[in-house]
Amino acid sequence: MNYYATVNNTLEFIKENALIVGIIAAFCVVAITVGMWKVFQKAGKHPWMAVIPFARDYTLTEIGSTGLIGVLAYVILPILGIINLNGIRYFYDLNKGASKPIYAILFVLGTIFLAIALFFHVLSSIKLSNAFEKGTGFLIGLILLPPVFLLILGLDQSKYVRSVSTSLGLKASRAISNTLIYIVLVIMAIIWLVPFVCIVLQSFRTESTWSVGYVLPKQWGFQNYVDLWNSNFKRWYLNTFIIALIVAALQTIIVLCMSYTLSRFRFKLRKGLMQFMLILGMFPGMLTMIILYRVLKDLGLTESHAVPGLVLVYIASSGMGYYVSKGFFDTIPKSLDEAARVDGATRAQVLYKIILPLAKPIVIYTILTAFMAPWGDFVFAKYVSFEDPVGMNVAVGLWKWLTPDMINQRYTMFCAGGVIVAIPVAVLFMCLQKYYVEGVTGGAVKG
Amino acid sequence: MASVKLTKVKKIYDNKVVAVHDFDLDIKDKEFVVFVGPSGCGKSTTLRMIAGLEEISEGTVEIDGVVVNDLQPKDRNIAMVFQNYALYPHMTVYDNIAFSLRLQKMPEDLIYEKVTKAAEILGITEYLMRKPRALSGGQRQRVAIGRAMVRESKVFLMDEPLSNLDAKLRNQMRAEIILLRQKLNTTFIYVTHDQTEAMTLADRIVIMKDGFIMQVGTPAECFDMPANLFVAEFIGAPKMNIIKCELLKENGRYYVTPFGAKIEVDGEKGQELARRDVKPGKILLGVRPEHITLAQQGGIPTRLEVNEMMGSELHLHVYTEDETRLIVRVPTIGLTNEQRKGMTYGSALNITFEGKVMHFFDPETEKNMLCD
Repeated sequence: MNYYATVNNTLEFIKENALIVGIIAAFCVVAITVGMWKVFQKAGKHPWMAVIPFARDYTLTEIGSTGLIGVLAYVILPILGIINLNGIRYFYDLNKGASKPIYAILFVLGTIFLAIALFFHVLSSIKLSNAFEKGTGFLIGLILLPPVFLLILGLDQSKYVRSVSTSLGLKASRAISNTLIYIVLVIMAIIWLVPFVCIVLQSFRTESTWSVGYVLPKQWGFQNYVDLWNSNFKRWYLNTFIIALIVAALQTIIVLCMSYTLSRFRFKLRKGLMQFMLILGMFPGMLTMIILYRVLKDLGLTESHAVPGLVLVYIASSGMGYYVSKGFFDTIPKSLDEAARVDGATRAQVLYKIILPLAKPIVIYTILTAFMAPWGDFVFAKYVSFEDPVGMNVAVGLWKWLTPDMINQRYTMFCAGGVIVAIPVAVLFMCLQKYYVEGVTGGAVKG
Repeated sequence: MASVKLTKVKKIYDNKVVAVHDFDLDIKDKEFVVFVGPSGCGKSTTLRMIAGLEEISEGTVEIDGVVVNDLQPKDRNIAMVFQNYALYPHMTVYDNIAFSLRLQKMPEDLIYEKVTKAAEILGITEYLMRKPRALSGGQRQRVAIGRAMVRESKVFLMDEPLSNLDAKLRNQMRAEIILLRQKLNTTFIYVTHDQTEAMTLADRIVIMKDGFIMQVGTPAECFDMPANLFVAEFIGAPKMNIIKCELLKENGRYYVTPFGAKIEVDGEKGQELARRDVKPGKILLGVRPEHITLAQQGGIPTRLEVNEMMGSELHLHVYTEDETRLIVRVPTIGLTNEQRKGMTYGSALNITFEGKVMHFFDPETEKNMLCD
């Protein structure tokens, strides 16, 4: 029953979404072929090789000089995977209804083979892209994304669990489905992590300062970080940190007070105010940029005085971000407020003695988002600081290093700067991720 | 320990719905007053206005002679127990009870003394270090009461404190509230929709309907002399039978004519009717189920449809010839086994009642004709 159901579900899904699956598949095929065609042309191989299945794979291993990995990735593993899938269909035809756990294991093995094949595919794609100019590699990497998503869709977790659990124990079926999910997640994580790993590696490269076509540095060292310390970066970092810290503190207070007020008090125009803010929030913030710049300019808060100006801009509209925390506050019973007020608490005491301890996840979520927004802001910061390095934040400053006239001296420093910028945010998230997830989802579900 | 006085208190919501109309009540010091009525009658709203959790639209509330309309709940010196307990989930039982004392900046050793004393009275000492979620419903309710107790406030408000408990626990807690009341010796205002709770706990009952006070009186008064049809039907279980019939006056004596029978109104009720010189005519006659007796001969012929065995008594749902349903309570102790076996679906029973148990209501105003 399990295979029948699993394969059937997958086939059913493809049938139901035939058009979309077809389009994605056709797109993949065309894109891969076109990509290969260009690659082969550049490598001086015959471009028609890109259309012939095994010849294509062989040529790829030749160009990328990927050796055994390439052969594994392009020839052997896919064949294994295909054989395995075919085997499953065979079992499904023979055993409609009757089946054994061993089939499930074979199926999982087949999927693992496919997954490994995909993994090597990505690896050798990177190798290939190194052998050529960058860009080709990105193209191929992107082409690889759709099949990954197809895999996720096709192996819809709940269907799998249901179908297998009838013949396998619940534990075994959960283990199998978890394995599948983890394989997919690991692949996605790798794809996600590639740029970060590249940046970290580049930041330790000392043999040259310009951007190069390979990932692993030939000479390692901390020179980039030392240079960073002696540059304007220190100033930018401090600017950003001050801005983010002040905004995180003030915005959190404003948002929480606003949410509490809208959640607990009933006053005239309360609904109207909320609707007004909802509509106001629909206009992109960029619309206000020119007038805000004008105002800040007249106040003298631009260029070298951009920091207080930016703080002002970031916290100005923070009250409008009340939705998530108001939703969370709404789930806390009002009788708690009332009990506390009867017990002798003022409204403010109710907020910080009763509501905030209960809404810890949402408080942390608010602090995090309030900190993150100015930390990573580029557009407005660039606009306000203009060309003055004293008023820049990290995003703008680092961007300056990527302009054509500076990139050759600053590229590796830029990478080092990127790493330094990422550290506090990463640490914050690692410490608080538990609350963050609760905060994002907490408002929706009554707790 | 204070009196509470409500004068023409009115609650009008923003959508112009009037929840409470001209509520007048004088609650004496150390009195136990119960507001009772069906849901939506404004009893909780009134209590919350006394507590300061709802704004008072019109009229005044005085506690101990001070008008408290514009005072915050914390300044009214009240304690309140909520229906859903409203315990602070992130605090231990001890912290929950100590919360109000800490807000008063009381020294910690005094707080300890008070909390442990309250916990002892309520029997929750062993749970003091637990969080509320690790307690059962009854224990939570005790904590909620404990939290109100330690405040030693002038007025003790309770908003349906027992409705979240199961029936057995409710009976037990009801008895405990009576004991608690003797220990605390303060003014209690208690809201419930359960007439049994009202009858057993109250010094005085305030029966409300649609924002109006229907009757204020001791449980006995409300039971013996219901001011109107609503009170008559609300107080007492099963509810009072109401029979449409005529009141006749012959030779200075009054008679009623339920279902074609003619029964004399004798005793006090007859004298009272004569004293007030009530005009004969159509009336609504009320008779409580326990006051109807089975007649061996004569009386009103009925047909038995439902026989509910309650243990010490039977609740008989009988239908008269004109298909009016009446409920009769018959103590099982006075019945022979044969009689009990005879009471099955469709069997014929004759019922009767005496004049002294009758209640007379005006069919137009639904008011008790013997009540001011």
